[in-house]
Amino acid sequence: MLVLGIESSAHTFGVGIVEGGKVLSNEKSMYDIGTTGMIPKKVAEHHVQNSNSIVRAALENAGVGLEDVEGIGYTKGPGIGNCLQVGQIVAKTLAQKLNVPIVPVNHGVGHIEIGRLKSGLKDPIVLYVSGGNSQILKISSKPERHYRILGETFDIGIGNMLDNFARAIKLNPAWGSSVEKHALGGRYLSMPYTVKGMDFSFTGLLTHSIKQIGKHSVKDICFSLQETAFSMLCEATERAMLLTSSSELCVCGGVAQNARLKEMLKYVAEEHRAKIGYAANEFNADNGAMIAFVAERMLDGGCRTRLSDCTIEQRYRVDQAQIY
Amino acid sequence: MRKIGEGAEAVIYSGKIYGKEVIVKYRAPKRYRVAELDTTIRKGRTRKEAMVISRATNSGVNVPMLIGLGAYEIYMEYIRGTALKDMEASKAIMAMTGVQLGRLHNAGIAHGDFTPANIIMKGKNVYVIDFGLAEITESSEERALDLLLMKRQISASLNRAFLSGYTKTSGSSRDVLRRLSEIEERGRYQIRTLA
Repeated sequence: MLVLGIESSAHTFGVGIVEGGKVLSNEKSMYDIGTTGMIPKKVAEHHVQNSNSIVRAALENAGVGLEDVEGIGYTKGPGIGNCLQVGQIVAKTLAQKLNVPIVPVNHGVGHIEIGRLKSGLKDPIVLYVSGGNSQILKISSKPERHYRILGETFDIGIGNMLDNFARAIKLNPAWGSSVEKHALGGRYLSMPYTVKGMDFSFTGLLTHSIKQIGKHSVKDICFSLQETAFSMLCEATERAMLLTSSSELCVCGGVAQNARLKEMLKYVAEEHRAKIGYAANEFNADNGAMIAFVAERMLDGGCRTRLSDCTIEQRYRVDQAQIY
Repeated sequence: MRKIGEGAEAVIYSGKIYGKEVIVKYRAPKRYRVAELDTTIRKGRTRKEAMVISRATNSGVNVPMLIGLGAYEIYMEYIRGTALKDMEASKAIMAMTGVQLGRLHNAGIAHGDFTPANIIMKGKNVYVIDFGLAEITESSEERALDLLLMKRQISASLNRAFLSGYTKTSGSSRDVLRRLSEIEERGRYQIRTLA
């Protein structure tokens, strides 16, 4: 089934085309966050302005026409309301125009499923790390197949924490990957470390790091912040793997693009002779292909949604979504 | 010394010292952490855990007795029994468990990982083990998290028995129970519809 997926939950408007689990194209346009971060109204405007050209580019790169599309998927949530709405409207318009089925997709499930299936893992412990989310999950079959949350952040997502810090020290662009670049070759400073079983918290670490600005070099703070936060994730992940006797680990989400995080998790996996898998960076960053990928599985699995039920939900948690 | 278990943080060995059965909990280095952070965490947690165990013993909580202490390892009494997670717990056992937690909290200790895996039934007594995540604190938040963790893993009727033992013993149960319902009402945790 040839499915077109639309992602618009945050800074990225992305359209992907998938057929039989194979990604035919994956186009996107990203709102420039500069040093100020995301301003919902402006991000939504960016999505509106780029939606048409990105849909066209995705079709062209896949070598298909609009009439070949057999199903539509879009991000229902979680995300920023203004932004989600743009993707929803584009998706519903296309579905109506083409008279094809449409399904709402959970953004987190998109990241996880494409990461898990593309790396050939069956039933891994999943570490899903992005701007708004930081969760440790595992597939559960009761009452219906879904991702159960074993542990998660008590406050903000790790990406959000890194972005906040990047803004505080005025890095441009103000987000996690800039912190990663500045962290290279830093020295370790003592930082607050908060893990409670399989849950963790980042706000104390963020406040402490911001207070260090001016007292230590940017390099040392970035390095220490990143090392501490990632160590917390590793500890919680390791605990989850041991408690569930898992021999597979899957890392996904925007922060999974960070090379140091992947290196640390590789050590965790190696210590327990577990297999580690992650998607290509293209799918860890927000993208439309993952939405199409999951939408195709949902449609093949018999999921059908009435147009009037194609809503958006800013707080649509991963464990509320059935997986196919 | 024989390796008998492995947690996320430590390796557990058993053996004999002066003819007495002991457990050694050794916090092994983690390759993923930078050396400074690794040593700080391992040393700090080992020291703190030893401190908590001796404090609990002094306050009349059933815990393994502390025998010795190194920089990264703790020697303690071996409690040979059955973990609650491996048996059919009765209401009476859960009430006893509640009493033990009440005493811990009265002693200013929050356990941090109060689950059926860390409660051992030996003879007619229940013992609390693994103080690896414990904190010395008066915070009702930390105390409520102990109740929450147990609640998530046992049936509603067993939880009622557990709470009856706890409220009977704890000097701050009203505050803690209020805090518990607050935690459960927090947005992030409200809507686990499928979980």
